[in-house]
Amino acid sequence: MTVIAGIGYALIALGPSLSLFVSVVSQKPFLILTVLSSTLLWLISLIVLSGVWRAFLPLKTTAWWPYAILIITSIAFQEGLRLLFWKVYKYVEIMGRLEDILDAFADKVSKPRLFLTDKMQIALAGGLGHGVAHAVFFCLSLLTPAFGRATFFVDRCSQLPFFLVSALIALAFVTIHTFSMVIAFNGYAEGNKMDQIFVPVVHMVAGMVTLINLASGGCVIGIPLLYFFAMLTLMHCGKMVWRRLTETRSRQSGS
Amino acid sequence: MPVTYHSLTLQMAIGSQTLFLNQSVNPFRNVKRRGESSRDENTLLVPRATARPLWSGVSDFLSISPSPPWIPTSSTFCFSLLPSFISLSMVTEGDTRSLESVPDLEKSMYKIVDGYPCVRLLNLSGEIGCSNPGREKFLYKVPKLSDDSKFAKNVVGVLIESGSESQMKLKGFSPVEKFPQAEFAPYRSINYEWNPIGSGIMWKSYNFPIFLLSQSGTMTLQEVASKNENNKKSYTADVAEFDLVMQTTKSGTHDSESCLKEGTCLPLGGYRGSVWSSLPPINVSSDQSKPVILTVASMDSASFFRDKSFGADSPISGLISLMAAVDALSHLDGLNDLSKQLVFLVFTGEAWGYLGSRRFLLELDLHSEFVKGIDSTLIEMVVEIGSVGKVFNGVKTFFAHVAGVSSVSNETLNALQQAKDSLKSENIMISTANSSNPGIPPSSLMSFFRKNSSTSGIVLEDFDATFANQFYHSHLDDLSNVNSSAIVAAASLVARTLYILASDDKDSSTSALSAINVNASLVEALLGCLLNCDPGLSCELVKNYITPRTNCPSNYVGVLLEEPSATPYPGYVSDVSRFIWNFLADRTSISKENAASACPKDCRNEGEVCIGAELDGKGVCVISTTRYVPAYSTRLMVDKSGIWKVMAVNSSDSMEDPVWTESNWDALGLRVYTVQNAAYDRLVLLGGLAVTLLAYLAILVSRAFIIKVLKQD
Repeated sequence: MTVIAGIGYALIALGPSLSLFVSVVSQKPFLILTVLSSTLLWLISLIVLSGVWRAFLPLKTTAWWPYAILIITSIAFQEGLRLLFWKVYKYVEIMGRLEDILDAFADKVSKPRLFLTDKMQIALAGGLGHGVAHAVFFCLSLLTPAFGRATFFVDRCSQLPFFLVSALIALAFVTIHTFSMVIAFNGYAEGNKMDQIFVPVVHMVAGMVTLINLASGGCVIGIPLLYFFAMLTLMHCGKMVWRRLTETRSRQSGS
Repeated sequence: MPVTYHSLTLQMAIGSQTLFLNQSVNPFRNVKRRGESSRDENTLLVPRATARPLWSGVSDFLSISPSPPWIPTSSTFCFSLLPSFISLSMVTEGDTRSLESVPDLEKSMYKIVDGYPCVRLLNLSGEIGCSNPGREKFLYKVPKLSDDSKFAKNVVGVLIESGSESQMKLKGFSPVEKFPQAEFAPYRSINYEWNPIGSGIMWKSYNFPIFLLSQSGTMTLQEVASKNENNKKSYTADVAEFDLVMQTTKSGTHDSESCLKEGTCLPLGGYRGSVWSSLPPINVSSDQSKPVILTVASMDSASFFRDKSFGADSPISGLISLMAAVDALSHLDGLNDLSKQLVFLVFTGEAWGYLGSRRFLLELDLHSEFVKGIDSTLIEMVVEIGSVGKVFNGVKTFFAHVAGVSSVSNETLNALQQAKDSLKSENIMISTANSSNPGIPPSSLMSFFRKNSSTSGIVLEDFDATFANQFYHSHLDDLSNVNSSAIVAAASLVARTLYILASDDKDSSTSALSAINVNASLVEALLGCLLNCDPGLSCELVKNYITPRTNCPSNYVGVLLEEPSATPYPGYVSDVSRFIWNFLADRTSISKENAASACPKDCRNEGEVCIGAELDGKGVCVISTTRYVPAYSTRLMVDKSGIWKVMAVNSSDSMEDPVWTESNWDALGLRVYTVQNAAYDRLVLLGGLAVTLLAYLAILVSRAFIIKVLKQD
């Protein structure tokens, strides 16, 4: 009865995204649109990358460094795209259209702090789109055999079934992507260099950490390390949100 | 092969496919529809709780032990469509076979085990062969090898490994009875043992699947068993999935009559199965009254495993002999001046109730168009070439088994002697069979004799009182069981004998006879084509005439895929039949006067046939009398609605006909893979649900917190 297992793996990878979607995104139609367009953008980025790399694939090599190059170039491209995403968002804002949209979107008379959380929600939705795209592309697409009778273990990571490893890694990346976008948008808005650098660096490091899985038994180290970075992102985002909200509050009360 | 039903499987896989189709080498796999056992081979038995009787003859057993789970060998997989951060990329040493897609992944998960199945066959009184007991595939843990005959009673499946060949070949093995098809014998002593090695296990019914593993299949399974030792996980287990679901078992029809009525089986035979050819071609318009000498061989064999039955010594050696003899005779001039007509006949279905010969005789009586040109009253003599592939101590001895005593038979025996003398070889001997034999050995001649006891005929065999073939009707009767020089010798004998018989005595001078020579390289080529998988039916000789559908010749008669009255569809005729038809037509042909026109469009005149019609545009139109004859039970007919019916017995000939049918089946296969415990699956689901719910709670908490923070205003 491994339909059960298949659903389980899918939930591990995308369950929290689903929760986030249901509780936050689905309340506001604009956020749904943001998620969809973000997902689309990141899927297109993956297609472009695979088009570029097509000539070199499949990588018939046992060395690790071709994979490293693959990861570095791809992440660099995606971070560039994130900047572009931000610029488009700013453009929309500058053109004033965002105000109108946000008017319709805010259910109270707009106050600066709602405006801030609304912006954060948009960033969160953007990040969620990114994360979902990652999970669908790298985990769900491989999951169809998991619904069958057999399971699969890989030599180099024989402690866990392959599908489980795939789902766990997808979950970690969903977390990283979702909260990275909040940090990044905030960093660009504030001009905070620390935040601006934090996101690409964490993304790159997390990507490289997956190379540890190439080693035999590496996933025992690789996956916890990945979750460390996911937690790091989550906490940094939380700290940043707290700081901004208290700043705003103190500014409010101060003025 | 019928594809008329689909197995009901409770498999609810979305995207899980049955992967054991479309593998070119093994015959049972390249047809969607669709088959070295001896007492000394190791067998793998998988026990079950309820007791079952076990057939004797299997000496080594394996027991199930709570085997540690097995992890399949994995391969490299790098998802090359995924350009960025490859989340999981594993490489195995040495083997850089990469998984490039999800179907590749599935193929690595499910390992197909190469093997030949044993299928369910039915007759009027019951059934034989093997089947899954129920409606679906079932899985059992692959056990370790060990000897524990305690488990012999609890068998749910048998996998027979291909052991070392020499070990098997020492003793001999034959799964049929000691007097095969005794019910068709024209004499009473049916207790005589023509085949003393025969164990009769093929004639029993088994309610569990039996597969003969090929070499690669054996290795796969041994890998599985050895990985058992190294594995420590308790939540996974390696299983073997047997798919041998037979429609007759599912529908509960357990004999031919009921299953034909339900449409869950099909009768054995072929609409265009047997082939006959006349040398030289018969001029139908002229009044032919030349006496006819029939030379007969058969082309089908049987075995416990439907797809591995080469039948090398019995009967293909006789078939090759006949074809080589036709080839030798075809080079002579003056064939039209022979005083007798030579007709060569190759039957199919002989292993399953002499379907070919009995149907042929019926068609002769009915004067149907299949046998146009042969007048049954003109048949003077029947010469059958049986098993002729054996050499003993360097001497090729052939025995002529005579049916009845008559002057014609004596004449034939003399002709044989004369032919042998003309061959001037020390190593060829011919003698009459022992008079203490009860009569002719199991052969197509039995049908002729039962029909008309005054028929004169002889059967040429390489044995006297008992079969020389130690592997009669088994999967081990293959190329290594025959000697090509024996076949060449038999062909030479037959060719010269036929010439002597067909011409007047004065003409059979030594010089005329010495012009009849059998092409030994043709015999070698035929052996390679008909008894081997490489080159098999892709050999040049076959490809000159037809486009074969498979490489491995399976000399099993197969089932009737169409009704006899329908327009024949070439797709349903077996490769070997088509090849023999084309070969005989070619050898017995006379070219047309005008240039060979494009076939088959312009080849419609009387007496014309198109050779190589399948080869695009390369068909040659010639004058030849070569026809197909249906081969199926004389007790079967198709009614108006297209359903096969068993007719009431109306002649003594049909009384013993068992009316063999084969059950319909969808796909046959065996595969091994790892499965997880249901408990583990549930744990994963629980984990997923937990993660989702926790996330939801965390979000609610954060949201409440943020609102609280914002409200402190």
